[in-house]
Amino acid sequence: MNFELSETQSILKDSVERFIGESYSLDKRQSLVKSELGFSQDNWKKMAELGWLSITVPESTGGFGGNQIDSMIMMEEFGKGLVLEPFFISSVVAGQILCDLGNQAQKENWLPRLVSGDCQLTFAYAEEQSRFDLEDVLTRAKPDEEGGFIIDGTKSMVLHAASADAMIVSCRTSGGQYEKNGISLFLVPKDLQGIHIDSFETVDGQRAAEVRFESVRVDMNALLGGEGNAFSTIKRAQQSGILALCAEATGIMESLYKDTASYTQDREQFDRPMSEFQVIQHRLVDMFMEYEQCKSMLLRATLEFVHNPDGSSRSIHALKYLVGKTGKFIGENAIQLHGGMGMTEELNIAHYFKRLLTIDILFGNSDYHLEKFAA
Amino acid sequence: MDINLTQEELSFQAEVKEFLSENAHKPGTDYNEWRLNWFKVAASKGGWDVPKWPEAFGGPGWSPTQHYIWEQETSRAQTPWDLPFGLSMLAPVLMNYGSKEQQNRFLPDIRDRLVNWCQGYSEPNAGSDLANLKTKAALSEDGTHYLVNGTKVWTTLAHIADWMFCLTRTNDTGKKQEGITFLLIPMKQEGIEVKPIITLGGSHSVNMVHITDVKVPVENRIGEENKGWGYAKGLLAHERTGLAGISRSIVALESLKNQAGSVKRGNGSLMDEPTFKLKVAELEADLMAVEYTELRSLANAASGNEPGPESSILKLKGTEIQQRLQRLTMEAGGIYSSAWGMSNVGPSFARSGMSGYLSSRAFTIYGGASEVQKDVVAKNVLGLKK
Ligand SMILES: Cc1cc2nc3c(=O)[nH]c(=O)nc-3n(C[C@H](O)[C@H](O)[C@H](O)COP(=O)(O)OP(=O)(O)OC[C@H]3O[C@@H](n4cnc5c(N)ncnc54)[C@H](O)[C@@H]3O)c2cc1C
Repeated sequence: MNFELSETQSILKDSVERFIGESYSLDKRQSLVKSELGFSQDNWKKMAELGWLSITVPESTGGFGGNQIDSMIMMEEFGKGLVLEPFFISSVVAGQILCDLGNQAQKENWLPRLVSGDCQLTFAYAEEQSRFDLEDVLTRAKPDEEGGFIIDGTKSMVLHAASADAMIVSCRTSGGQYEKNGISLFLVPKDLQGIHIDSFETVDGQRAAEVRFESVRVDMNALLGGEGNAFSTIKRAQQSGILALCAEATGIMESLYKDTASYTQDREQFDRPMSEFQVIQHRLVDMFMEYEQCKSMLLRATLEFVHNPDGSSRSIHALKYLVGKTGKFIGENAIQLHGGMGMTEELNIAHYFKRLLTIDILFGNSDYHLEKFAA
Repeated sequence: MDINLTQEELSFQAEVKEFLSENAHKPGTDYNEWRLNWFKVAASKGGWDVPKWPEAFGGPGWSPTQHYIWEQETSRAQTPWDLPFGLSMLAPVLMNYGSKEQQNRFLPDIRDRLVNWCQGYSEPNAGSDLANLKTKAALSEDGTHYLVNGTKVWTTLAHIADWMFCLTRTNDTGKKQEGITFLLIPMKQEGIEVKPIITLGGSHSVNMVHITDVKVPVENRIGEENKGWGYAKGLLAHERTGLAGISRSIVALESLKNQAGSVKRGNGSLMDEPTFKLKVAELEADLMAVEYTELRSLANAASGNEPGPESSILKLKGTEIQQRLQRLTMEAGGIYSSAWGMSNVGPSFARSGMSGYLSSRAFTIYGGASEVQKDVVAKNVLGLKK
């Protein structure tokens, strides 16, 4: 048994750390947040050059052939750096669906560009009524005479839709609103006629959009995998998405408890450092313990997923539950112990907390996963 | 022990209800005009525009039960917005420690909502340890004015304020608490620089205020030099009792239930999902208890006693409950709770979920951080420290 990083893994971690040290001061980040795009194309290119965008792509299709452990390492560091580039949704989630379901032609068409940073994908799965249920799909795709499909419906909170070149869209090709059978995935180029993108900034400074499909015609090549049986792939994408998000959150929580511990040592009130108050010491110990719990659960779920994906779903539910709950606990206390300073946008604290809150509502919040875990 | 309202109290309640419904804002009419007029009409009822002011200063002289009824009814009805700084924070200080001239000069404008005040207490190095404040006020040789220099921070609404009530340092030697002077400073003048601080809910309400060589006439000093701490402490007690917000939380709980009830899940709603429903139930049970904690504290005051131990936990419990309400509202909003200021996605309550929750984190920081409040309870109520 061994939880040490391998040499390649350590090199990966160091290189992400270095990138963040060089490119991600809070000032720089906040000016990216305010830009139209919401992240930096230069950074995106750099990530491609460093080989990170190919990490999870199999070697057979020109990738690095890494697994969830590699993306976990990267995401933890991305969390600490509050990285904005759409690695999570484009490479981890959409990239994986493409690798899982794409046929030869689809992979050849998209993967090289995905890996080189020339294109960016997103995954449109949620709908206004669906809340966190992946199978609750009303958006319809109907076959037309020429073998293509006509898509109608609205997808919600589609991450980075405005900057994506194409989106993978879950559509109902048969069955009723809540049925797992009858859901298909389509890879839809964004510039098709009838696609309306209403983009906005989310609380964490990233971008999302409501995407309306009005009689959007796609040809047969847009269908990913078989018609009507995409649910298991969606579920798997959700699972690896959760692992990546929870790694990011764990990195964030580590920074939060450490930053707060050092703030209370520097901040003096009542003629002594705040950290000398026992109440504060115990609170920090609680934050630290809960962080360690998340770290352990992250490792457990990630390793189980890598070794036996089909047997890992309980751990993944437990992980998302724990990370959502702990994220609020650590974030709330980080702010509390910073006092007024914690309420400003001037320190990382606020930005970390906003990201944690957003992570909680991606792919199901803590209540949702607790209920699944208990079921 | 008896919780029933008396016949007089019931008829008072009916009168308040009638007043509030007759004077509610009519959609489409000018808000500001209605607002200022509302206070005039309330004044004509005999001090209903300043319910907390003592009778001697024009207040209605209500019993604690009447105050409770007023709180309950006004948190349900539409009443005009109001700010606490002049009305509930400075006014009691003026009444208790100000001179007749100062009372005549400042109270009428406060009452008519014509002048906005801000509270200049906290400084970068004087937060929880407020007595550590350093903003210096030096009395001129001829004794006509103070020269004030320093920096205040977290000053709520300083950017719209006409005046600041400000704690300044007039003596560096001896106990920190004994060298503090309470000054009233006009904001719209040279030497006062207000810089916005954006808080994490995304809004601008607090500021940094730099004060440079500002001359403040001695007539603007409340009470005696070096005695300001005592005046301010009395005022903090007023600030705290206003922060529990129990009646408002009861109303907020109702709307949370409606909002969550509007989120459809299968054949039911979010209110039928066990984890969410139980969290709402837990909150409601706590709120029912704290409502009675408040009643006990009011009854105590009504019989003319000093505030009992129960009153010291009202700010702590009250703010904690407000935060839990915000948190559940955010959770009810689901995927839309992170839609920052967007005007047309998802249900409208959901969009502001996260920003409301984030702003609510300040409730346990201002007006005395919860940890500091607990110190006070440990010391004064439980007698755990000397
Ligand atoms: C939104 C907002 C509005 C405000 N408006 C005003 C205003 O209008 N006017 C004004 O003067 N001030 C205002 N304040 C300032 C407020 O009163 C201070 O933030 C508060 O007193 C805490 O001070 P601080 O921020 O310096 O935190 P610090 O004093 O640095 O304390 C940080 C944290 O340490 C902990 N702590 C502090 N002391 C102890 C202790 N003895 N034992 C254990 N733990 C402790 C608490 O968790 C506290 O939150 C406002 C603050 C906020 C956030």
